[in-house]
Amino acid sequence: MLESIVSFVDGSALNQWIVAAWWIWPVFEILHFFGLSLLFGGLLVIDLRLAGHFRRLDPGATHTLIPVVLAGFTINLITGILFFYGDPVTYASNAMFQIKMVLIVFAGLNALVYYWLLHPLVHNWTTSSEAPLAAKVVAYISLTLWTAVMLCGRLIPYIGEYLGTGN
Amino acid sequence: MFVWIEGTPIAQWVSLSLYAYPFLLSVHIVGLAVVVGIFMMRDLRLIGCFKSLDPVAFLSLGRLAWTGFFFNAVSGLMLFTSQALTFAENTAFLIKIAFIVAGMALAGVIHARLRVSLLVGSADISRSTRTVALCSLLTWTGAIIAGRLVAYIV
Repeated sequence: MLESIVSFVDGSALNQWIVAAWWIWPVFEILHFFGLSLLFGGLLVIDLRLAGHFRRLDPGATHTLIPVVLAGFTINLITGILFFYGDPVTYASNAMFQIKMVLIVFAGLNALVYYWLLHPLVHNWTTSSEAPLAAKVVAYISLTLWTAVMLCGRLIPYIGEYLGTGN
Repeated sequence: MFVWIEGTPIAQWVSLSLYAYPFLLSVHIVGLAVVVGIFMMRDLRLIGCFKSLDPVAFLSLGRLAWTGFFFNAVSGLMLFTSQALTFAENTAFLIKIAFIVAGMALAGVIHARLRVSLLVGSADISRSTRTVALCSLLTWTGAIIAGRLVAYIV
């Protein structure tokens, strides 16, 4: 599957544009770092409250941060796809990149579990409610997966057959 | 002085070990997400977003951000030692450090004000606090931009 994506991307007009424009990488990297701050910052508040910390916060109120998390994810999805377009062969063959993609899928599945099973419950919480075990598990899995996603991303230039000039 | 720094055992380890640089960068990225992530949520709240969220809760969340900052100060210093001379002459790096100092000073101001709100029991956010929060948000955005450009600008 990965090979057919690579052959589709490699040599495409978008691929050539990104390869040719030197300013694209730093600009998209800045956006990618900005996006991860929004994504992880929002999740820290939501997930740590879900796990039972920071009881001052109304659990339902932390959900107003979900649009920020989704905005961060969208920025990073778009810039991430464009990174891939800029160097499809090296990304596709990079172990850290592959693991990162799998972890993002798991994080998405974990978010669905949260949305279907816990979201309806959280709205009935008060600031004094004890966090149920399921909530703690989902919250810590979420933070662990996203931390691992960042680590894999950061290590792409260092581990896993990367042929580019990483920095 | 920077030449001396580059000759210290820590600097030697960071620049020669195959694992030191990627390891320190890994710590640095997670620390960045914690520090900038929490401070950005706090600043957005103070500017007027997510009104149902108790702003005083960012005092205890702030402690987590300070912890992240500690890890990034240590990992950042270690990364610095390996190429002290190059970093000290890199404009983007110097601007990044200035932004971080400003951001931490603004965090001190904001958290002092949140502590007052906690004591007084008021949830009102003054106009000047909103301005400080906006400055802080721009400062951390600037730190990310300058930090990333360190790798591109000599």
